[in-house]
Amino acid sequence: MADITFDGVTKIFADKIRAVDELSLHVADGEFMVLVGPSGCGKTTALRMLAGLEDITSGSLSIGGAVVNNVLPKDRDVAMVFQNYALYPHMTVAQNMGFALKIRGLSKSDIAAKVLEAATILRLTDYLDRRPKALSGGQRQRVAMGRAIVRSPQAFLMDEPLSNLDAQLRVEMRLEIARIQRLLGVATVYVTHDQIEAMTMGDRVAVMRGGKLQQVATPQDLYDHPDNDFVAGFVGSPPMNLLRASLESANDGLRVVLGAQRLDVPATYLSSHDLPNADGPGVILGIRPEDVEVLSGDSAGALMTRVERREALGAEILVHLSLVDAKENTAFVVNDEGALVARPTTLVAKMGPRAGVAVGDQLNVRFNVEHLHFFDADSGLSLRIRS
Amino acid sequence: MTTASTPPKEPEDPRPSMGPVQRPRKLGRWMLFVVMMIVAVIMLYPFWVMIYTSLKSEAQFLAGSGFSWISWSSLTSVIPIGQEVLSSTIVCAASILLILIVGLPAGFAFSKLRFRLSTGIFLVMVSAMMVPLQAILMTEYVNVSRLHLTGGYTAAVLVYAALGTPFSVFLFSTYFRGVPDELIEAGIVDGLGYVGVLWRLVVPIALPAIATVTVLQFIQIWDDLLVGLFFIQNTSDRPITVGLAVLAAGRTTSIPELMAGSIISALPAMLVYVGFQRYLVKGLTMGIDR
Repeated sequence: MADITFDGVTKIFADKIRAVDELSLHVADGEFMVLVGPSGCGKTTALRMLAGLEDITSGSLSIGGAVVNNVLPKDRDVAMVFQNYALYPHMTVAQNMGFALKIRGLSKSDIAAKVLEAATILRLTDYLDRRPKALSGGQRQRVAMGRAIVRSPQAFLMDEPLSNLDAQLRVEMRLEIARIQRLLGVATVYVTHDQIEAMTMGDRVAVMRGGKLQQVATPQDLYDHPDNDFVAGFVGSPPMNLLRASLESANDGLRVVLGAQRLDVPATYLSSHDLPNADGPGVILGIRPEDVEVLSGDSAGALMTRVERREALGAEILVHLSLVDAKENTAFVVNDEGALVARPTTLVAKMGPRAGVAVGDQLNVRFNVEHLHFFDADSGLSLRIRS
Repeated sequence: MTTASTPPKEPEDPRPSMGPVQRPRKLGRWMLFVVMMIVAVIMLYPFWVMIYTSLKSEAQFLAGSGFSWISWSSLTSVIPIGQEVLSSTIVCAASILLILIVGLPAGFAFSKLRFRLSTGIFLVMVSAMMVPLQAILMTEYVNVSRLHLTGGYTAAVLVYAALGTPFSVFLFSTYFRGVPDELIEAGIVDGLGYVGVLWRLVVPIALPAIATVTVLQFIQIWDDLLVGLFFIQNTSDRPITVGLAVLAAGRTTSIPELMAGSIISALPAMLVYVGFQRYLVKGLTMGIDR
């Protein structure tokens, strides 16, 4: 078992595409690290470099303290689980699981013992004589896991291993993989584009975009303290509301201007955040949907909104709101390329399942001022002062 | 209050009725059947003539009636049929082995490895399929005679291998393109090199393609006359097709004996085809359903 270190690792493909750009990341021994990001963000390329399936253009990559840039995949002692499982179709489950051990020259009895041990952990003992085509998707996935764990490698690498499963099975296997990883205590790098998988499985989550690492943190820290507007918009479902706003001076502080409406900035933010001046370039205000409170009547400091769309999810209703009397569209999302894309509605709020709201209703909403996020209007970086 | 009475519904007939769509379809199937029967008769008629004629003596053949095994029993004294079948088998087996040894790794490399000019080299190699044997026959003959290879089987084996390899490279590379890259990468991460991946993972799953190449090349090489005629100069090494040609070119050719020899010549290719037909279809249609 070992730790993994990416130190300024860059990958430039032959067509000059910079797939991974100066990636520096440390995965501790036994840690479950999730690489997450939209398609084309470089997460799979980073994983393939770690496996030795892609050359490294620059930087250094070490496993267990040893630089492996020029080490062949077979000598890296890492095991990989692929998106489509990549089971050997002409071998039985037992042969699939024991293949790497056979190549390494282990005796038949040792291989059989290790395969049985792994099959017991994965509840596959009844299927050892079957061929992959006679297995269900979930069973195939477990065989792929089994093939990795029999080797007792220094690290597990997993490339979107759950993406071919149906929703219910995905939830089960999510828990199963996390359980096995904790049981074995092997450093794991897990690639996914599904932020729910990232949040539920990882000890830490690394968010990537355009080949660059955006933030590495525990799932909760990532959710509560995103470093930039991309992370804020990517992590969480539905994503954080991001509103372009200007600031103006109030009696003894600042006010956020949203269209024709005003919102006082609590005094605590003036000390905890590096907010620009009132005549500055403005900010991006972030607020999570669960921190948008719908009021029953008028209230001071409330924003007037109109319901544009409602999505009933059973346990809750998502209401899409637009600001009443907003002259221009102030809300946006950050797309894969990092461009700001205007959203048709300004705010998404979560409401209880019995909330009687209909499209066209006017609602007064109030933000939970304890959980506001401020980002620089140009760079998108968080304005929070790090302690 | 008045109620309008509705007539009771008739129970639905559970049997499928022949609708207007089904009738033309059935007619179409019958027409197809008739056409296929005609094609089968056209194809099988020569075989019938061969078998029918071989079961006569020369006199019975000229008289048009009678039955005799004499042509079969005298065949071995007219031509060394056993030796010729053996020669054909050796040439076929050696050529196909060479074609597979070159075609399999080449097809794998062109489909799965990234190297400079791979597309260009592949196109040049595959374009060799378009060159007919007759166009290069003399050049090839000059080449192999300079190397003093025209005595035994070597020259014919090399020529057959050279003619068959481009097709096998094309077929194998098409087949391997359908094999997921991840399967190969899984083997590499598990500890195999490219050669190990080829022999331990790719070859076992490429059996339909191997069977396809084997059958098609076998039929082609077994049935070929020209290469054997040119490149195998020892009369004791000549293949069955050359033996039959010599028999046919004789001053007093016995047609029933020629037919008996032709049946022996045609039989192996037919048996190989029938035996491997399932793989052949699978191998030739690969890539279509992926």
